[in-house]
Amino acid sequence: MTAAFDVTRRALLAAPLSGLALAAARAGTPRIAAIDWAALETLLAIGVAPVAAAELILYRAVVVEPALPPGVADLGLRGSPNYEALWAARPDLILSSDFYVWAEPKLRLIAPVERLSVYVRGRAPYGAAEEMTRTIGRLAERPAAAEALIAGTRDELERLRGRLAGLAERRLIPVNFGDPRHFRVFGTDSMFGEVLARLGLDNAWGAGTSYSASAPIGLEALAGIGDAWIVVVPPIPPDTRRALAQSVFWAALPNVRAGRVLVLEPINPFGALPAALRFGRLVAAGLTAPGGGRGLG
Amino acid sequence: MAELTLAARRPAGPALLWGVLATTAAALFAARLALPPAVSADAATADGLRHILLWHSTLPRAATALLAGAALGLAGALLQRVLRNPIADPSTLGIASGAQLALTLALVLAPAALGVAREAVAFAGGLAAAAIVLCLAWSRGLAPVTVAIAGMTLALMASALGAAIALAHGEYVLSLFVWGAGSLHQQSWAPARSLALNLAAGGLAAALLSRPLLLLGLDDASARSLGVGLLTSRLAVIAVAVWLAASVTAEVGIIGFIGLAAPALASASGVTSPRRLLLVAPPLGALLLWLTDGLVQMTASRGSDAIPTGAAAGLIGGPLLLWLLPRLALGERAPPQLAPHPIRRLTRPRHALAGLAAAGLAIAAITLVLGRAPDGWSLAHGDLLAALLPFRGPRMLAAAAAGALLGAAGALMQRLTGNPLAGPEVLGVNAGAGVGLCATLMLLAAPGPEAMMAGTTLGALAAIAVILAIAARTGFGPERLLLAGIAVGAFCLALLTAVLASGDRNAFTLLAWMAGSTDRITLSQALVTAGAALVLIAPLPLLGRWLDLLPLGTAASHGLGLPVAGSRFVLALAAALMAALASLMVGPLSLVGLVGPHLARLLGFARGGPQVVAAALIGAVLLLGVDWLGRTIAFPYQIPTGLLASLVGGPYLLWLLRRGGSTSA
Repeated sequence: MTAAFDVTRRALLAAPLSGLALAAARAGTPRIAAIDWAALETLLAIGVAPVAAAELILYRAVVVEPALPPGVADLGLRGSPNYEALWAARPDLILSSDFYVWAEPKLRLIAPVERLSVYVRGRAPYGAAEEMTRTIGRLAERPAAAEALIAGTRDELERLRGRLAGLAERRLIPVNFGDPRHFRVFGTDSMFGEVLARLGLDNAWGAGTSYSASAPIGLEALAGIGDAWIVVVPPIPPDTRRALAQSVFWAALPNVRAGRVLVLEPINPFGALPAALRFGRLVAAGLTAPGGGRGLG
Repeated sequence: MAELTLAARRPAGPALLWGVLATTAAALFAARLALPPAVSADAATADGLRHILLWHSTLPRAATALLAGAALGLAGALLQRVLRNPIADPSTLGIASGAQLALTLALVLAPAALGVAREAVAFAGGLAAAAIVLCLAWSRGLAPVTVAIAGMTLALMASALGAAIALAHGEYVLSLFVWGAGSLHQQSWAPARSLALNLAAGGLAAALLSRPLLLLGLDDASARSLGVGLLTSRLAVIAVAVWLAASVTAEVGIIGFIGLAAPALASASGVTSPRRLLLVAPPLGALLLWLTDGLVQMTASRGSDAIPTGAAAGLIGGPLLLWLLPRLALGERAPPQLAPHPIRRLTRPRHALAGLAAAGLAIAAITLVLGRAPDGWSLAHGDLLAALLPFRGPRMLAAAAAGALLGAAGALMQRLTGNPLAGPEVLGVNAGAGVGLCATLMLLAAPGPEAMMAGTTLGALAAIAVILAIAARTGFGPERLLLAGIAVGAFCLALLTAVLASGDRNAFTLLAWMAGSTDRITLSQALVTAGAALVLIAPLPLLGRWLDLLPLGTAASHGLGLPVAGSRFVLALAAALMAALASLMVGPLSLVGLVGPHLARLLGFARGGPQVVAAALIGAVLLLGVDWLGRTIAFPYQIPTGLLASLVGGPYLLWLLRRGGSTSA
């Protein structure tokens, strides 16, 4: 096993255009690795399979779509990417973001690094995600696919807006539960907030939160917005579902009494255009479902 | 001391103070009742909502604050009485951290258990923590500072493990932070009801145990002659205190240091009889937490407290410990004991050191070439080794340098304080480094590795300055130095907890440091650290005489012509600098500073100079090995080196110290 590994590795070092590398070169796509999930989503959505990406076990559970093709090497936790595994995947280009600046000196030893950030203070994430998609399209030599993703996402959100036009209740608050007593909220300047605006819906929180509220908020704050839909972004901690089901306070909230609670499928709150569209689709499907939202009960 | 005697002479003073505090807390609460939060709905619905908010949020929150404060006050008073230790409480004994860690583990391993047996899980964790701390401190007669050191070490370990779990389970990161910081937001009476039941049961148990409890304050011999089943009563009282503290952690998370503050302030107000102290501490604890929570709610905007109540209460812990310091000196029973004698003495320590160094080089060579790749294990050489070297080299160098620094710093600390549990971690320097890192992350938009290193270094230096300034007042006496370190560490940890509770994305970077990842270290950082390690460690053998004499105590050292305060200052400064440098590489905790020196003594390095060098070599080898394990066992996922070292070293240390205790007895 050791010897075989050594031989292939040395052969590859000596002749970079043999074996897999040659296949990739023939296909005309650069070998790209992604540390940030927003870049990973975008790559997959424009039909490029990266050679390596971080934390794939959790990606499959939390981000879900676009689905990962086989053959993408797992680099371990995003907070501690495995440089040796990344080196072994021989990328030509590594996509990083503002969250991983500390890793860049090491990443640059492996391949050129491109820092593409959707979430930057004082910048609207949807526009930043479009710009990143365009950049990734150029880097991955798929500019047409990138433009198609940008236009397709806009069109699809526009179509969903039309579907939601007749809806009576247009106020929503997207939240994520920390425990039965606390949540964080995604404000108007978050990706989810921007998608709501594109869908023609109102964010009931009505203020920016720099992507998601910076401190845990007590559940009692929900009493201030009794008319809005409560849109729950997973994960929901296991005991929270049970505790809320038994909570007098939760049951007494006008939104809960009226069945205006919508629990979404898992979704990446720090994603790019694919995550934005997934959020839009899930919200639209939930709001227009015949029986109303899928509640917590 | 002056303020204590003053307070005792003028009983009106404290009464007035408590009256003012109670009035303030009540006024804050009244303000909340008078100014309910805005609700947007039609008049009828709004009325209904205000009613719900009052009865299901505002009132239960006040009740929970009062009950949790009372439970912690009682737990603290019980622990302080039974351990005869004025700085014992659920925070210093690591009970709250243990309960918290058990809940965290349950969340990711057995979530179903949390739904049905949340309090039992917390109790098991708290009990395990108390058992470990008492076991560690047993051979030192449960001396107050030693108990606090062991508790602090355990709390650090729990926070490192919690950080690693949060990193590996990023999806639950908000939940983990909310628990860790002890927030009092309420929407039901369930936590208050549960706390009330537990407090009543705990109070009843304390009342039943009151006779043995009062006698336990006496020394062991007198208590035994009065017919008290010493061990049984002690354990029963400790179990009651753990149950109270664990139920608070289970219901609202970690609330720091109320259990320390309530009894301390009671006795400062002139309550001297043990029975009255037990009666007064719970209401004082209730008042303190209610007041803290009232102030915290003042800072709230849009339903979110600026910092969680538990973390806010934790901030008083550090200053409080310092204030208690003079009283501790009075309670000191035994002079610092010498560390247990080695089992055998080496006749030729130099040869043994050379052997250790050779073994270290061999291990370095093996860990350098042996590694894992996506397609299996490999022995790297030639081109492959050259290609992997930029990734393996810096982290190995950093691990070895950090291990050497920690080993040597630990040996210095133990010689300096005469306390076998005094690791460099408890100096609080590392937590200071964490606060520096945290500030860098919050102030700069996207800090690079250099900025983060600079911030971490500044934080550590600030902590060193504060600790040494506090310790200078008694000529750097060992107990004061340790306690200053613990106090600074507790304060910095509370700050970090408050920041982590925000669940900000930057929290992940902070977590990676807390867990002790070595893989992000650049070659230049590793080289600088290794150079600094050489410069700091090389002169230490020249200080062999100081190291041999200082453990004999102040009087003996002074009599033998040692400049006691001067030598202590130099050694403390060296240990703090070494700990700070190491924490930049492997995070705030690794236990290498404890394991290294103990192994060195076990191998027979008895004299100060050789022991320091041996501890440094052993520390370097240990961290090299652990770093290798961390990058191979779960490939491509990596286990942080600092955390893995403390998980490997913890149990071994327990075994070592128990063994050391029995052979020296």
